[in-house]
Amino acid sequence: MDKSTIVCRCEEINIDEIESAINLGARTFNDIKRLTRCGMGPCQAKCCMNLVRQIISDKTGQPLHEIRPPRMRVPLGVTRMGALAGSQASSVTSVFGESTEEGETVHEEKL
Amino acid sequence: MNTDLLIVGGGPAGLNAAYKAASNGLKTTVIDRWFTLGGQLNQQTQFYNNLPQHFENQRGYQLANYLIDRLRKLDVKILENHKMIGAYNNGSIGVTDGKSTFQVQAANVIMTTGAMEEPDIFPGWTLPGVMTAGAAQILINRERVLPGKRALILGSNNFALEVARQLNDCGVAVKGIVESRNELLSQNDELLCEVDIPVLLDSAIERAIGKGEVEKVYVNTDGIESVYDVDLICIAKGMTPIFEPFEIMSCDLTYQEKLGGWLPKYDSRFETTSPSVYIAGNAAGITNIGGILLTGEIAAASILEKSNAANSLKIEEEKKYLWGELYRIESAENPSALDARLDVIRNFHHETGIQLPVYLDSVFGGLTNG
Repeated sequence: MDKSTIVCRCEEINIDEIESAINLGARTFNDIKRLTRCGMGPCQAKCCMNLVRQIISDKTGQPLHEIRPPRMRVPLGVTRMGALAGSQASSVTSVFGESTEEGETVHEEKL
Repeated sequence: MNTDLLIVGGGPAGLNAAYKAASNGLKTTVIDRWFTLGGQLNQQTQFYNNLPQHFENQRGYQLANYLIDRLRKLDVKILENHKMIGAYNNGSIGVTDGKSTFQVQAANVIMTTGAMEEPDIFPGWTLPGVMTAGAAQILINRERVLPGKRALILGSNNFALEVARQLNDCGVAVKGIVESRNELLSQNDELLCEVDIPVLLDSAIERAIGKGEVEKVYVNTDGIESVYDVDLICIAKGMTPIFEPFEIMSCDLTYQEKLGGWLPKYDSRFETTSPSVYIAGNAAGITNIGGILLTGEIAAASILEKSNAANSLKIEEEKKYLWGELYRIESAENPSALDARLDVIRNFHHETGIQLPVYLDSVFGGLTNG
């Protein structure tokens, strides 16, 4: 197949880039992820997981059952920073307090 | 928020598990990331003629409505538009509604995350007009939009043939089913008898080209190239379990090709290697609708048994029946997946040294002796 065929569409990584990473010594999905950003887009390797595992297997001869999926991390799925931080500002006020210059008035937020 | 049982995923497995648990008095919470319950059943218009005996045979979307209506009559907390995004050190689960994140402290969790469709790649597969068979099915049955006028189907499993038939019913000209092997994967080829769809065996899509969308597709059949003038390619390569939330919950994974690849390990109660975290549905290995419903119910029954929420003799009888049904349906429709499932369970019990329940002797008989 044409080596310019896209494998990871989120990060637009093609077969050639993945094979080059393997030529540089990559043996796991995590290696390829670190070298190319493959699997690090919005879908978090949902589409390319088994495609990349297959390329690793074809290129290195490792059987598929020995090639693990990439490491998954929180948050699962695309999440807004605001949703993670929440509406309670308690931790944020302490930061404002610390950065207050001498002579400034500290406004204590009532929560 | 506190609950006896948190169910992550409101598809058929989660809904059936929730009904079982809540109707026996467990305080149950169901979260689903989508704005409606029912999961992928919502766009399944085909008739299911081999459901477990305690269900009436019906179409997929009707079954979804039945499961949802039945659950809404019970005291169950249902949170649509809520997704699990992580786990805290104290074991509670992080859930967000998109505006804020809160902790759910659950004595037990059943995760029914389902499966995702696998793509197959060829030059041009990222052009608009190339989609999975499931995406095409969502467009015609849920969104009421025709995804194209002339189509090729890549793959020949049951789902590929079903979607080919549904597209044909909607007036899409299905120009062919492209299969790389020398026979159809689906045993159910009567699906094709009703409609006139050519089957291209020993064939592969070489490339798709077009200006901004699919216009032409080159198919290679045994070295001979032919050109198809189509604007839609549906890829039906198969499905693989969604296991990310299980990894976040520190569940060990195992590899079983016949169940769709990597998936969490589980025992005969469908409990994973993380205590009180259970699995059911397609996440526990790609199966049919009967298997999806039954695994959810077995997981819920196991939690009832553990929580002493129901008479233990009665629960054991019920589990015996549910396992009997699971065996009946999967051995008829999906025998290699059943073997792989029993392998996963047997390996788990072998690793932990916990005996399989006696009532499973008949189910595991063939395997434990071999």
